Amino acid sequence: MISLGQLALDSDTAFTLLPELVMLSGLLAIILIPNLGDASFRIPLTNLRVPILIGGSRFEATNDPRMPNRIATLAFSVAFAASLLMIDSSSEEVGGMLRSDAFSRLFSAMFIGALLLVSAASTHRIPAKQNARAPTDHDSEATASRKISILMDNRRQVDFYILLIMVGLGMSLMAMSTNLFMLVVCIELASLSTYVLVAFHKEEDVGGEAGAKYFIVGSAASAVGIYGMSLLYLWSGDLALESLATKWAEMEGIDPFAAFGVGLMMVAFGFKVSAAPFHLAAPDAYSGASSPISGLLATASKAMGFVALFRVLVMITVPDYGEQAPWFLMLAIIAVITMSWGNLAALTSENPKRMLAYSSVAHAGYMLAAISVIGSGLAGEEGTRLILIAITFHLAVLVLFKMGAFLVLSLLETDGSGHRMEDLHGLGKREPLIAGSMFLFMLSLAGVPPLSGFLSKLLMVNGIVSSSAGTGNSSATDVYSWMDTVDPVFWLAAAIVVNSALSLFYYLRLSLVMFFEEPASSSRLKSASSLRMAIMACAILTVLCGIGPVSEWLVSLVSTSIDSLVG
Amino acid sequence: MGENKSETGLLVYIIPFLAIVPLMQNQGWESSDSAILIVAVPFVTFPVILVAGQLYNGHETWKDKLKEGGILALGALGTSLMAAVWLVYDYFDELPDFGDQHSIVQWLEWVSFDLLQSDYTLTSSKNILGVGVWVDSITLMLLFVATFLCFLICWFSLGYMNTDPINEDRNHRFYGEFVLFALGMFGMVLADNFLWLFIFWEIMGLCSYLLIGFYYWKESAAYAAKKAFLTTRVGDVFLMVGLFILYDIYGSLEFSVIFHDPSLHGTVDSTQLFWALLMMFIGAVGKSAQFPLHVWLPDAMEGPTPVSALIHAATMVNAGLYLVARMVPFVDVGHHGVPGLEDLGLIVAYVGGITAFMAAAIAFVQNDIKKVLAYSTMSQLAYIFTGLGSALWFYNNDEHHAAVVVFGASMFHLFNHAMAKGMLFMASGSVIHEVHHAHDHMHHGKDGEHGHDFDPQDMRNMGGLASKMPVTATAMMFGSMSIIGIPLIGGFWSKEGIIAETWLAALEHEPLMIGPAILVLLTAGMTGFYMSRMWFMTFAGEPKNEVVNHVHEETPWIKEPLIILTVITAFGGFAFALLGATDYLSSAYDYSGHLHLKKSTLLDSIIYKLEYAFLPENQNLRVIGWITILLSFIAGPIFAARVHGGELSAGESASPAVSWLVSLSGKFGSQDVTSLSESDLAEALENRLYFDDIYEGVLAKTVVPFAAFTAWFDRNVIDGVIKQIESNSVSGSLQVRALTTGSARDYILMTAVGMLSIIVLVWGIS
Repeated sequence: MISLGQLALDSDTAFTLLPELVMLSGLLAIILIPNLGDASFRIPLTNLRVPILIGGSRFEATNDPRMPNRIATLAFSVAFAASLLMIDSSSEEVGGMLRSDAFSRLFSAMFIGALLLVSAASTHRIPAKQNARAPTDHDSEATASRKISILMDNRRQVDFYILLIMVGLGMSLMAMSTNLFMLVVCIELASLSTYVLVAFHKEEDVGGEAGAKYFIVGSAASAVGIYGMSLLYLWSGDLALESLATKWAEMEGIDPFAAFGVGLMMVAFGFKVSAAPFHLAAPDAYSGASSPISGLLATASKAMGFVALFRVLVMITVPDYGEQAPWFLMLAIIAVITMSWGNLAALTSENPKRMLAYSSVAHAGYMLAAISVIGSGLAGEEGTRLILIAITFHLAVLVLFKMGAFLVLSLLETDGSGHRMEDLHGLGKREPLIAGSMFLFMLSLAGVPPLSGFLSKLLMVNGIVSSSAGTGNSSATDVYSWMDTVDPVFWLAAAIVVNSALSLFYYLRLSLVMFFEEPASSSRLKSASSLRMAIMACAILTVLCGIGPVSEWLVSLVSTSIDSLVG
Repeated sequence: MGENKSETGLLVYIIPFLAIVPLMQNQGWESSDSAILIVAVPFVTFPVILVAGQLYNGHETWKDKLKEGGILALGALGTSLMAAVWLVYDYFDELPDFGDQHSIVQWLEWVSFDLLQSDYTLTSSKNILGVGVWVDSITLMLLFVATFLCFLICWFSLGYMNTDPINEDRNHRFYGEFVLFALGMFGMVLADNFLWLFIFWEIMGLCSYLLIGFYYWKESAAYAAKKAFLTTRVGDVFLMVGLFILYDIYGSLEFSVIFHDPSLHGTVDSTQLFWALLMMFIGAVGKSAQFPLHVWLPDAMEGPTPVSALIHAATMVNAGLYLVARMVPFVDVGHHGVPGLEDLGLIVAYVGGITAFMAAAIAFVQNDIKKVLAYSTMSQLAYIFTGLGSALWFYNNDEHHAAVVVFGASMFHLFNHAMAKGMLFMASGSVIHEVHHAHDHMHHGKDGEHGHDFDPQDMRNMGGLASKMPVTATAMMFGSMSIIGIPLIGGFWSKEGIIAETWLAALEHEPLMIGPAILVLLTAGMTGFYMSRMWFMTFAGEPKNEVVNHVHEETPWIKEPLIILTVITAFGGFAFALLGATDYLSSAYDYSGHLHLKKSTLLDSIIYKLEYAFLPENQNLRVIGWITILLSFIAGPIFAARVHGGELSAGESASPAVSWLVSLSGKFGSQDVTSLSESDLAEALENRLYFDDIYEGVLAKTVVPFAAFTAWFDRNVIDGVIKQIESNSVSGSLQVRALTTGSARDYILMTAVGMLSIIVLVWGIS
């Protein structure tokens, strides 16, 4: 293992870690730049003054409260572009615990892309205003409280974007980890930052409460997971993924240490992907956090959990063709419960954010069902690859339409609404373009062709069906006799389809109220240009990634990255 | 009214549209690439018109400068026309070889399913969703007809629709649907597989419903729209079944796959294929309004007149003909076709013959100028069906030469009829429009007295219009001559070919063909009568209503398309015929080049054409040809002139050709037909031979009770099940949500439960 000192000296290594280094410099810049001032040091005995920049009275330009947002957005943009460009077949080891390859870079692009959207949206969600003044004695109570909230928003700009960048660093490094220990540490780095982000609006009761709950339940789950990891260490003596995989393959029968270790780690990762019954804190957290942060939890944070599942379940414990992994049944049961629970609960949610939270639970269920098929031993090498492509593609496009839906809610939140279904009433009349985009997002979430949500769901169901349908009696003359012979895994696909049908109800209900109910107010929403641009970008990409050359490009990108994981 | 001021300045607004095609050419596009513009530009424009119309309704610029979207529609159709002309120009001489055809360009492939390759997936249907462009001479001809006529009709609509107060603030709907209708036809003609052909076919069905029901508050219009939609739906269902069978046989609906070898090395079961083609033919029967699915077409006159022109000339009804024309490769035994399908040809010919005769007979007694034209459309389309039926029969019996001749004649008749009928409808629109205006003008503010019972479409209110509307009268004269088949004018060349070859089949090959042969021959004479009758009733004689004296032909936008089409009808048909249009049109299915470029020089070719039309080598054909000319040229018109002809009233003068015709019509004396017009037969004809009544009676006895039953079933059983599912889901949802208590302690408890279950499960496995 090389030391950190060596790491910094090596320019090749530095290039390999470019996105992370960009984010790190952004982090430092956010701390330093607002503090730049005109302080200078007079060389003793002379009249020469050397500016030392830190201290004194701050410069007008650098002390602009909008500065952290700009720096963070810039850093995320550069890091996003860098990650995207680094998705190729090359693979670089860094420091023995990290590896930059197509798989990790695809996911870091996904994470950073989501953070970029959050950062763009937060420009208006947590606005920074120039010329903020402290309230005076003459102000009425309302004016005073408004001025105070502006001042508070200005003050905490730096905190917010530092936390965002920490999330980015944690997630991005996590995707690169080749060591279970490193993986868990990075997850915790990202998670702790998200706990704070959820509770960020501490002056509102609901935010603080949600953050606390999310933190407590998350810590409990993490504790169990880390205990599971320690069991794995006891069994193997090494936490490097490769050596764990070799050890697992050589294992005779099933070692209880190993099995329980993996099982307990499922609890921690299950919490991250919000699988039932570990998801319960998620709806509270989603509705308590500001909408961009909820979007972050529903997309990047979830994708992080799935990377962890890929690393443990697919890299370490993937069964040979025809053998069943010990976690198969467990995961299949969790998957079906998760998707049904999510969809059922979403059905009667009156808060659109909670509804989206439950829909996110349901989507986790679909993807878990697909992973469990890998454990069934029916998939084979090609089938495994198909399913992994499907899940990764789904995670990638979720960043577009799930995040897009949350961004629309953010736009409502800038006007102080967005927590009740009534706030969406008549949005089609007030903001046709925004409502249209929201409609697209809902259709895509439901999986309506030709949107990207359909393609990803199709790929998943296809992966499951093509793995399991071969077990059916090919000489069966009617459906029933074929159904008797087909492997039960087939029913996972059926469960996905039935659940999708159920989910259509609440997705369309939301769309319905947007277009057919009368709005409470006919005023337009805040102009919030960068937020609107982000919503439009999500909407356009939601369509483009479902059909045509862009979707093919994305699928080929995903398949390159999956090749670097399993190949 | 401001109608008189020139509005040609508005054409400036379509320049951006017209610049699209040259711009693309400049960018190095091929004409095949730009073929997508033919469909894409209207496809983008129609929602723009509809949405902008909603937003800017009543706005000054929208209304006066953009003519409520009409200018946008004109621009979009102009782009289509330019792209289509470019395509025609490029491929005119370079048609792909017969039998070795493939789509010239592929537009869209659904995301490639390479990923999904596995035995149980969608891979085998990979191509079914693709759509490309298929080019042969039929495509080119129909594409030109459709784009050209749509453009002209749209131009005409600017005058017709926008000056009628009843349409005010609703015209964006008209233009939006118009453009969608047009793109449906363009797409159908270009499509390179039956699936997309069907999709565009259905787009047209939808638009016909919307446009026929444009005046939806009128009960008759709403009823007509419903009738048109449902009747064509009957055909569409059969077409769909036909396509299913076709897919079952070939495993694909791509033209390039199917037409490569329709017999699949002789393994195709001819009975199965026969049923597929028959089903598809029934679809065509519905779309092209042939017996027995013809009932919707006359009612479709409830739509605005430009819509009638659109349906009858440019789009809808030609779709059915196109579909039947596409069946040739299946039966062409000389070239991988399947033998044993002669019956199909017979059926097509019989349907054509019966419809031709029946429609012509009904047209005898119609007094509504548009209804006459509607029945004439049915009748003329029936000619084409008869021709195609004979062609299918000949192809299937390897009578290649005759087959190619009659196929080319049929396609040429389609061209002639479309041009003439498009113009006739616009001319009739012009008449109706001006008469209506004159009436409004006369009875301004006195609606109570005459307003309600005056019908501006009734020819009994007209007469003597020849002097008032010179352009319209001339246009209609040439249009009618073309439809009648006056020698040397457009329709003559094609109609002659169809009748002669049908007789050839009957006399020399298949006795059963005598039925259609006799029917189409008689119809030729009847056409001569009812078309002349319409013209004389409208334009000749003395005015039958004082309104006529106030008619002026001065609405802008209306004359130009009439003049263009008159020129094409009067001289174009003649020129095209002599230059070998029939040979060209049949070249799509003339693999051995029987006719193509048979004559070495142009002059030889022209002489051959003339000789073949009037003095064919075959004696039988010569007799038939002269009988046709006699009936349609002499007998029909003279009889019509005796009944309805007459000099104009004193002091009125018309343009030279027209006035000659009018005065000629007065020379045959007059004949009283009151006894004939009161006979049972006339009454039966006026009631359209009771088809509508029979259908309605049958529907009331069968479909309505069944519909009532299904409505009950739907409400109680299906909805009941759904509601049960819904209420169960909601109660399940409430129970599940009750588990989310909001207390972190409970959440950790659930996490622990989950953890324990995992442990138990893992324990059980290991």
